Amino acid sequence: MPDPQPLVRGIGLTKVYGNLVALKDADFTVMPGEVRALIGSNGAGKSTLVKILTGAIAPTLGTVEIAGKAAPLGDPSEMIRRRVSCIYQHSNLAPAMSVLDNIFLGRQPTGKFGFVDRGRQRREALALLERHGIDLDLDATVSNLPTVKQKEVEIMKALALDAQVILMDEPTGWLAASEVTKLHATVRMLKARGVGIVYISHMLDEVFAVCDTMTIMRDGKVIAESAVADIDRPRVVHLMVGEKLARESERAAHQKRHPRGTGEIRLRARNLTKRGVFQGVSFDLYAGEILCLTGLIGSKRTELVRTLFGADRFDSGTLEVEGQPVTFGTPARAISHGIGFVPEDRHRDGLMLDMTMTENLAMAMLDRFRRGLILGRNRMVEAGRRAISSLSIQPPDGTRPVKLLSGGNQQKVLVGKWLNRSPRILILDEPTVGIDVGAKAEIYGILRRERELGAAVLVVSSDLDEVMTVADRIGVMVSGRLAALHDADAVRMDEIVREIGEAAA
Amino acid sequence: MTIRPATAALVLFFAATLAFFSLSAPHFATATNFENLMSGFSFVAILAVGEAFPILVRGIDLSVGAIVGVVGMVVFDLTLVLHVPGYVILPVALAVGALAGALNGVLIVFLRLQPFIATLSTLAAYRGLTYSISGRQLVPGLTTTPIRDPWIVGIETYFDIGGWLGVSKFVTMPWFPLSFFIMLVVFAILQTAVLATRFGRDLYTVGGNYEAARLAGINTTRVIISAYAIAGFCAAITALIMVARFTTSTEALGTGMELTAIAAAVIGGVSLAGGIGSMFGPVVGAFLLGAVLLGLTLQGVPQFVQQIITGVILLAAVGYDRLLALRRQRRLALSLAEAT
Repeated sequence: MPDPQPLVRGIGLTKVYGNLVALKDADFTVMPGEVRALIGSNGAGKSTLVKILTGAIAPTLGTVEIAGKAAPLGDPSEMIRRRVSCIYQHSNLAPAMSVLDNIFLGRQPTGKFGFVDRGRQRREALALLERHGIDLDLDATVSNLPTVKQKEVEIMKALALDAQVILMDEPTGWLAASEVTKLHATVRMLKARGVGIVYISHMLDEVFAVCDTMTIMRDGKVIAESAVADIDRPRVVHLMVGEKLARESERAAHQKRHPRGTGEIRLRARNLTKRGVFQGVSFDLYAGEILCLTGLIGSKRTELVRTLFGADRFDSGTLEVEGQPVTFGTPARAISHGIGFVPEDRHRDGLMLDMTMTENLAMAMLDRFRRGLILGRNRMVEAGRRAISSLSIQPPDGTRPVKLLSGGNQQKVLVGKWLNRSPRILILDEPTVGIDVGAKAEIYGILRRERELGAAVLVVSSDLDEVMTVADRIGVMVSGRLAALHDADAVRMDEIVREIGEAAA
Repeated sequence: MTIRPATAALVLFFAATLAFFSLSAPHFATATNFENLMSGFSFVAILAVGEAFPILVRGIDLSVGAIVGVVGMVVFDLTLVLHVPGYVILPVALAVGALAGALNGVLIVFLRLQPFIATLSTLAAYRGLTYSISGRQLVPGLTTTPIRDPWIVGIETYFDIGGWLGVSKFVTMPWFPLSFFIMLVVFAILQTAVLATRFGRDLYTVGGNYEAARLAGINTTRVIISAYAIAGFCAAITALIMVARFTTSTEALGTGMELTAIAAAVIGGVSLAGGIGSMFGPVVGAFLLGAVLLGLTLQGVPQFVQQIITGVILLAAVGYDRLLALRRQRRLALSLAEAT
């Protein structure tokens, strides 16, 4: 390295949310001209680390030094002034504004009296586009652009800052193959200019193609650092997954899997299409099996399962439940066919946070407690008590508001609300996001029990360890298509990783 | 700046409304009636332009009517009770309005209150303040004393522009009230501010995507407080014009006007979802509401029916905007389908 002084250095970074430790005593450095990969499975703490480095959140403990000087924490404008910028995984654009305005979001060049210098803004933007070979209509409104183009606007926004350090959080998630190549060329060019880059990706192909060094995280801790040249792929996967989970998934691999379960088809999708979202999705879901759908964020898994549950409509294709063609217009119709759905965002779509556990558990089956027009309170409490003990929810107090529970227990309540109905089909979207390892294992136990009871279980998950642990069969979704469907016994994790990544490339 | 289809539709609808009433309502297409429209709704337009700012940052200000009341009473007290000269009162009144508005912003930003709740509280509080500082209660004799300060009542001046231009020989022109020109100036300044300044761009960013604005290093606190301060400032201008017209003020001045202002802004295409709209829409929206009210009155339609019709117009405007948004979404989904 030409300059021994790191551009960014995080020391002892720790972040605690409630009783979840998202990041534990992490150290992190980026040198000038270094492309450092930051990898780990979901919930490993990567995003938390990134947010601290961009000033989006302040760490509970620890310091960040930029160019050798301690930087104020938790203030994005201070980080931007120190030329640290980020391309976020989720859109950070103002949708109703033009591309030009978005590129200079918050930093429009101004002349007298705060008037925006439109001429200079346009000249700088055009120069930037030309330099990076990106083609964008500066006057288009961002909300009218396809997602891929929006991502490019986001990249331009970071480049326009003339940043010394650029953090890229899953930058290629929405990009097509040629655009990934273009982005990598840009990365190499920035690197040649001495910019430090942090490259966060699930796709190991990309990491090995473009990065110099890597930091591997697991369970909120930095567990390994290495030059890319000194490490091979199986070793990386092994480090990401960890000994314990590796052993567990080994054990899970030995336990009996039930691809196609009892052989009875519960749900049959044929050429299911929602224009602009997913296309030609065909699969069967059997009673007594767990089918996991995996893929990148944005591969439209959530949209697909929402459609199966009747929360959204599809445009063409057929959907059959137990041999009957159905078109659910509303979730209520899906529920009456015995389908239960656990949404990804439990706070927004799943739970009534201020209501008690008992009330939440009873929510999906109030008809069962009804006596005429009045709800049978005692029966509700009794059903709640049974669910709480069978799911071992802690603390076992049905009168407690759900918002006071830990994430794992909240998730159990959310799953539990369907179980008293004995669902014929249970759909779960990212059932273990943001919950700890112990609670994860319990959720897996619940899913397996439902499977043994003869339910057909469909799980959407980005967490490959989870997929390898619970799945009987594995479906891989890529850009709105079901790209592959495997028996879990007959496939290895690295093959799945390749399918997820390569198909996008 | 391209003209949004919603804006074009609004202008067309306004023109159609004027044409409809000109043909169907007696005395609608007269100089007197247009004078009434300008003098009766320019201050509503100013209030609506101010209200557009909180809505642009994805908030709402329910207290602007109450701020009109406070400022009106401050003017009443300073002139009639304390005999302060008008040229001192004008800046004081504007500062009071801006401060009352800024306080809304402070409550929203620092106490993290929902804008609806924060301004509902200050709506009650400011109205109460109006009563408690009321010089009318203190010196009951003043209730019938008109304000005579030339700086204040001078706002209620009319210009015979038609006469100056010599047009009046051919057609009867309305006399233009000063408030109409004040409205034009306020509109021009604020329209320029939102479209061409850094502050304006930041305003749209905060309203369109708050988190993106924060992460882009925009001082969101300052932007939000400024937006509410501008709403209060505009309310103060409205109060001055109203006091000048009535040559007095009452504790009830401005009551319910926040709803008219919000309606005008929303009819004018300022999206309650934040980040969309300009100052042109609220101005047209205010005069559209005015033309409808005047037209219906001239047609002899009872007042409660007028309110129903106002509600229908509001629904139609919001529905139309929603329709455009849905169509845009569908087009986007299709273009994405073609790309893959």
